[in-house]
Amino acid sequence: MNDVGQSLWTEAWRELRRSRLVRASLWTLAVFAGAALYGEIVYRWYSIRDETPSYQRVNLQERYVPPSFLRHPFTGPSLAGGFRQLAHHPLGTDNLGRDVLQRAIQGARIAFQVGVITSLIAIPIGLILGAVAGYFGGRLDEAVVWLYSTVACLPGLLFILALSMVVGKGLLGVYLGIGLTTWVGLCRLIRAEVLKHRERPYVLAARSLGYGPVRILFRHILPNVFHIVIITFSLRFPAAIGTEVFMSFLGIGVQGEPSWGIMIGNARLRLWQGVWWEMATVTAAILVVVLAFNLAGDALRDALDPRLKARDNT
Amino acid sequence: MTSPIKSYVLRRVLYMIPTLAGIVLITFLLFDVAGGSPAAMVLGKNASAQAMEEFDESKGFNKPVLAGLWTGTRALEDADFSRSAGALSGATGARFMSDHGGGWVRLAPNGACAVPFVFPPRPGTVFSLRFAYRGERPAAWALQNADTPGPLEIPASAEWRTAELIFRTAAAGAPAVLTLRAGAGAFDVRALRLRRRVAHGWDSQLTHYLGQLARLDLGVSTAANRKVTDLLREGIGPSLALTVPIFFGGTLLSIALALVCAYTRNRLPDRLLVLGAVVLMSVNYLVWIIAGQYLLAYKGRWFPIWGFDSWRHLALPVLIGIASGLGANLRFYRTVMLDEMYKDYVRTAFAKGLSPAGVLLKHVLPNALIPILTNTVIAIPFLYTGSLLLESFFGIPGLGGLSVNAINSADVDVVRGVVLVGAVLYMGASLLTDLCYAVVDPRVKLR
Repeated sequence: MNDVGQSLWTEAWRELRRSRLVRASLWTLAVFAGAALYGEIVYRWYSIRDETPSYQRVNLQERYVPPSFLRHPFTGPSLAGGFRQLAHHPLGTDNLGRDVLQRAIQGARIAFQVGVITSLIAIPIGLILGAVAGYFGGRLDEAVVWLYSTVACLPGLLFILALSMVVGKGLLGVYLGIGLTTWVGLCRLIRAEVLKHRERPYVLAARSLGYGPVRILFRHILPNVFHIVIITFSLRFPAAIGTEVFMSFLGIGVQGEPSWGIMIGNARLRLWQGVWWEMATVTAAILVVVLAFNLAGDALRDALDPRLKARDNT
Repeated sequence: MTSPIKSYVLRRVLYMIPTLAGIVLITFLLFDVAGGSPAAMVLGKNASAQAMEEFDESKGFNKPVLAGLWTGTRALEDADFSRSAGALSGATGARFMSDHGGGWVRLAPNGACAVPFVFPPRPGTVFSLRFAYRGERPAAWALQNADTPGPLEIPASAEWRTAELIFRTAAAGAPAVLTLRAGAGAFDVRALRLRRRVAHGWDSQLTHYLGQLARLDLGVSTAANRKVTDLLREGIGPSLALTVPIFFGGTLLSIALALVCAYTRNRLPDRLLVLGAVVLMSVNYLVWIIAGQYLLAYKGRWFPIWGFDSWRHLALPVLIGIASGLGANLRFYRTVMLDEMYKDYVRTAFAKGLSPAGVLLKHVLPNALIPILTNTVIAIPFLYTGSLLLESFFGIPGLGGLSVNAINSADVDVVRGVVLVGAVLYMGASLLTDLCYAVVDPRVKLR
């Protein structure tokens, strides 16, 4: 075993790759990101050409087509024909004849977008407020603590829905709602960490060298607390996806685009008629993505948390 | 002699005051300021401006936001004639003209034009009409059913000037009509702005809201036309009937399973339970509800699908609620118990020959209960909002369903009321949590 000290990040990465389950999760997330990227390309392709996308085109002759592997694709004369049959609506169609797989990919795109943008809103707010509160203390700290205590009191989902009610339907309401309510956890953690780091010798040394507080915060302290940001991101992303699913289901989030929540809403009624493949596809997609995030996030937390490391060595 | 606990409680209660102020402020900013008046959402897009004004009046939306003497009115929206004639399009005697700098409305010499009120301004009220004008010759106002303390004549000006006409409408009877009469030369008008004077400087939306809160009046629901406090009081029963069983059942089951995990630490049952917990956690809440309803109620016919008539109607939602929360709770409780088990005194207990079950139940569980207790107490306020989704799906007339309906029908007072009460309850539970922690854990120093 290599005894030379390595950076936290390389060690964590090595530890992550050790577990088979975590490797599978990371690959799943890579597939998810790839699907989101592909979905984005398809979306842009159609919006540039100003056509109705194929996943939105209503095709009433092909309603309720079951998944291809249940349609006995290889009973025909040729093998090539069989593969063609397999590739034609591989996961079936919904009540308007739209392909379920393509819509699920678009849902992945929207989920990815929501996760990234809400994190881009929540993480900087939590990080900056927490760092500033922890480092400067005094009135600034009191103000930040008051702010996050107040925001934490508000009932979560309800407040997000209320924000969308005010901002109006559509993705902007989703982004603002989720982004402006989920920064509190990160703020608390960062503030606690920065408070601890402020008393460390290296910060004292930097101060005596005459570095300004901004430089100390961003170039010295921040890299040491950044693992919290990564862990929070890995927890917030699936939570944001889940919340977006609720909101779209309730009709408040995305309008018009096939988000997973909207697909669940459509599929729910079909379920009672025996059409199960749309619901199964979306459920499986959400489950797999969130599960992958949770497993990878857990492993990441175990790999990056220095206290847990100490315990494992006993 | 005040005990340290009493002074701690007092200090924490005092600290709650700025938080309470913050909650009131945030709900005010969100629902009154950012949202503006929900008149359009509630009454529909084709509602008349007068109906919307009456709605605003009843809810206090037509006052100034924070403070001030003047407020807007829907009788005349701010008119800016730089792009088009706007409200004066059809008026005889007024013509729209423009040059590279912008547009304006021109009255021909000796022409006249009435101010285009959408509905007659409120009788017996003072208004201020600001207008930007330009004209070679003076013009004058002609007022019907209104009077003004100032001069009616508008002096000539070659450049654009802003002037103000303050008038009071007649106390009752015919509607006020304001007519602008051009003199010997053409008269140009570029903008019109009408403001209503309110009773006094502090008559604002904020004071209206604070006054309502002080009277414990949370407003009136526009959808049900009933007081919000009544709706809350009726809804809390069904919500609690749903969430209290979920809370207790879920906690007990999670603790029991966590004990199993701690007992079979790192062996197969523990690993399976942990993996199972992660999978359970990853299933989206909606899917729990839909699958539960479909498989157990529709296909299996073990439970009724919808409604709130008997305890059977609650059984399935409670089951789903417990199952969906099991994953996260189990992980947390297991972590807490394993943290305890790694401590020295547990090792001592094992060394002294105590059986694993004995160690768990007599030593680990009581000490692990401290963080578990604080975690569960903080979950109490969520009992109040019920589960928004469970109630909508199963037709349980609790606060969650009330909130979802209110959001869909833009019923601002109800949503604001639920958010406000929920936040206040959370504050109370947070205080309770800190107190429990201080009382139960002797290591905590009361600062």
